[in-house]
Amino acid sequence: MILGDFGTSYCKFLSLAEDGGQPTIVATRELPGNLHVDLATGHNGRRFAGRYVNELIALARGGEAMIEENDYVLLDCGSRDIKFVAYEGGKLKDMGWNTECGASMGFTIELLEKYYELDYQAMHAPQTTFSVTCGVLGMSHIFDAVINGVPVSEAVARFIKGIAINAFRFCGSPEKLYLSGGLCANPVFIESLPCEVTPLGRFLLLKGLVRYAE
Amino acid sequence: MPEITDLDISEYRQVGIVGIPPLSVIRTLNEQRATIHDLDARLVSASIDGVSPLLPKVYCAILRTVVLNAMHLTLDAIFIDVGPGKCDSALHVSTILQGILRVPVFRTRNTDSVGFGTPLAKARHDLTERMLAITEGVKSAAPVPSQYKPCKPKAGFWGVPPRDFAILEPFPATTHIYGWTRCMENKTPANETLERYCNPKVPTVFFAQSFCAKTALAKFLADRHPMGLYLDVDFHTSHSAKAKIQAFLELSGALS
Repeated sequence: MILGDFGTSYCKFLSLAEDGGQPTIVATRELPGNLHVDLATGHNGRRFAGRYVNELIALARGGEAMIEENDYVLLDCGSRDIKFVAYEGGKLKDMGWNTECGASMGFTIELLEKYYELDYQAMHAPQTTFSVTCGVLGMSHIFDAVINGVPVSEAVARFIKGIAINAFRFCGSPEKLYLSGGLCANPVFIESLPCEVTPLGRFLLLKGLVRYAE
Repeated sequence: MPEITDLDISEYRQVGIVGIPPLSVIRTLNEQRATIHDLDARLVSASIDGVSPLLPKVYCAILRTVVLNAMHLTLDAIFIDVGPGKCDSALHVSTILQGILRVPVFRTRNTDSVGFGTPLAKARHDLTERMLAITEGVKSAAPVPSQYKPCKPKAGFWGVPPRDFAILEPFPATTHIYGWTRCMENKTPANETLERYCNPKVPTVFFAQSFCAKTALAKFLADRHPMGLYLDVDFHTSHSAKAKIQAFLELSGALS
């Protein structure tokens, strides 16, 4: 059985037939048009599978599978949106999905790295931040800062920190946060979150789908 | 504000209502066999952009729909409730309607307090169909008929009838209806106590139209509810709004 998490920028796959098989990643723009999987999640998923589980449910089930605590907040930062679930006593306490004001944050961060030829792995969280309302509007802060002599890497890092703080507030400003999604691999983003962060990687939604494959 | 008994409404065959005018108004219109059009509902297919010269785009979707309906339907009169059972925004919309229409626009203040009961709100049946029956019930002075059996709730929907009923699709048949919709069925739209009521043991979605004053109450109640989800939706139910409801219902055990 093939499981697929069809994201805006990247798709992740897991074959349950291969014992101990590792998940794979394919850029969404490179997906073959005739692709078909058995079970899907992600906002593109309905096109490629007969069975579909929505992203929030997949995220929550993935958290239940990977997090041993009963009380936790799990935040997923994708290319296009951010979403979270908060559990208390092992039960759902709160949840949220921001596709509007959280629009294109992850996508914009990746775009900026390529455009300015930056290496996020070699960068750190800055002291200051921009007030960023969304990925698109936030870019004007970068342009203004660069015009005023701020190094590009510093301006982009401030932008990322603004996004991180937005995401942190969106999920209720917890003391400890489990993080899912592609930004788990971005040290600037992780360091910018003003709380204890446990990155869980970008395959958490696939872990959540496994429950529905059984 | 004239009493209905002071008005000569015998000439009115096609009458629009906004909100829930007092029972005395509805009863008189029923007796005159006037055709009542609920202007809060989606009655015309014209583009909502047509109301943009009259109302801000960032405004309650229900009241924008009211103005759109009033612009396109051929009516003899409109009764618009602007009392505690509706909202201040309706008061301002009544001013606009009086300014743009050639037919009389009567303001009412519904403070009816005799409850007619809420069997549909507590019945086991498709939520969309029950919602339609309750909204249809505002056109009649008689109790809203219900042939469905009562049930123990597994989920709750609190709020007003949404502009886009697609939001109701994920709910199970065992969903109880709370909030202003329950007040509608009870024919007491200004009953604040009934509007605030919800069941803390039932996973409940607290819904309000975006830009409506009821968003404050919906959020307040959702924050206090042990299993509450606050949700506001504008014109159409987005994929994420629907998915949020699906996830909430599944993860809170309402669908098991």
